[in-house]
Amino acid sequence: MKHTSKFTFSITLILLSFLVNAQQKKTDSIPPKIERFGIRVGADLFKLTRSFYDKNYKGIEFVGDYRLTKNYYLAAELGNEDKTTIDDRLNFSTKGTYIKVGFDYNFYENWLDMRNMVFIGMRYGASTFSQQLNSYNLYNTSTYFPEAPTVISGEKFNGLSAQWFEVVVGIKAEVLKNIYVGFSVRMNRMISNKKPDNFDNLYIPGFNRTYNGDFGVGFNYTVSYFLPLYKTKSSQKKVEKKK
Amino acid sequence: MKKIILLLLLLSLSFSSCEKDDICDATTATTPKLIIEFYDILNPTVLKKVTNLAVKEVGSTSVLGFISESKIQLPLKTNEDLTKYGLILNSTDATIDNEDFLQFNYTRQSIFVSRACGYKTIFTLDPTTPYIKNETSTPDGYWIQNITVKTSNITTENETHIKIYF
Repeated sequence: MKHTSKFTFSITLILLSFLVNAQQKKTDSIPPKIERFGIRVGADLFKLTRSFYDKNYKGIEFVGDYRLTKNYYLAAELGNEDKTTIDDRLNFSTKGTYIKVGFDYNFYENWLDMRNMVFIGMRYGASTFSQQLNSYNLYNTSTYFPEAPTVISGEKFNGLSAQWFEVVVGIKAEVLKNIYVGFSVRMNRMISNKKPDNFDNLYIPGFNRTYNGDFGVGFNYTVSYFLPLYKTKSSQKKVEKKK
Repeated sequence: MKKIILLLLLLSLSFSSCEKDDICDATTATTPKLIIEFYDILNPTVLKKVTNLAVKEVGSTSVLGFISESKIQLPLKTNEDLTKYGLILNSTDATIDNEDFLQFNYTRQSIFVSRACGYKTIFTLDPTTPYIKNETSTPDGYWIQNITVKTSNITTENETHIKIYF
């Protein structure tokens, strides 16, 4: 249920952005517009705050993008996570680093001097990490004997890695001059996954929880700073006149 | 640009194969039980049904009952390397009932199954003494005449592990 609603939410977001897009088309006269190009760097606030309130989680993610053309941005995320997952039958800790690189396409036509983004993008993600199996339960269909006590393991699996693709949908809004707040949701699809012997990568830094069928979801909530490098006057757009 | 958006939408739709993996499916092969088949001692290739067989772990009061079976499944302890059962033949009739003890010795191995099921145990019967047969304190003779180990690796319930002749 949880991921179904996440999925519905992201689809709604996409559809909403189309609406917004459609409305902007109506602009009749466009004053010469100054387009700013530069680098935007920031961090994921959700991972940062979660590290404070969730004792089983420590993580940080830095985000950055570089404006290539009017609508295309080169984008990347770099992160590190240390998460202990406590499931009904398993307790394990995942530690590792990940990087995601790709592009964002801004399809939001800004008014006047606004510099906001509604974007869709893609990422290639890669992570190297380790898993430590802390404890597990043995599954037994027979109830003749009382359930065996939880087995304490501590076995560590090093040198694991995974690669995946992400589809990103998100927004970035300039709330103060050069300060942006952003939100994005991601859907992940695994390409390769180096699994440990006699265990599985049930959580992968950057990819998050893995589901059957190599599918994953994620999101981030970022605050970033825009460092302007140069400006261009956008070529005067031809005013669409119906007559 | 519209094409790109459409392409990405299609891509994201292809991801939507959400599956439930929170509940351990009953059809998943987890910890196997010991499969015992009963054969006729006089005609060792022919299966023979046990009548009113009661099986209980020594020291336990809960009973596994088999009214008329030639093949039974017994769970093994997953937190000890041995399980000792008392097998009572004709348990419903106090005049002819006969209890023999069987202790199974084995080693255990944990095998990962899934997020929902966790691990399962597989067993390997001890190569030198896979089982020990005992009498009750009031000897009434063994009803179990012979035992053979067919498979010492207890990994599935699809094969017979122990054959008992009586």
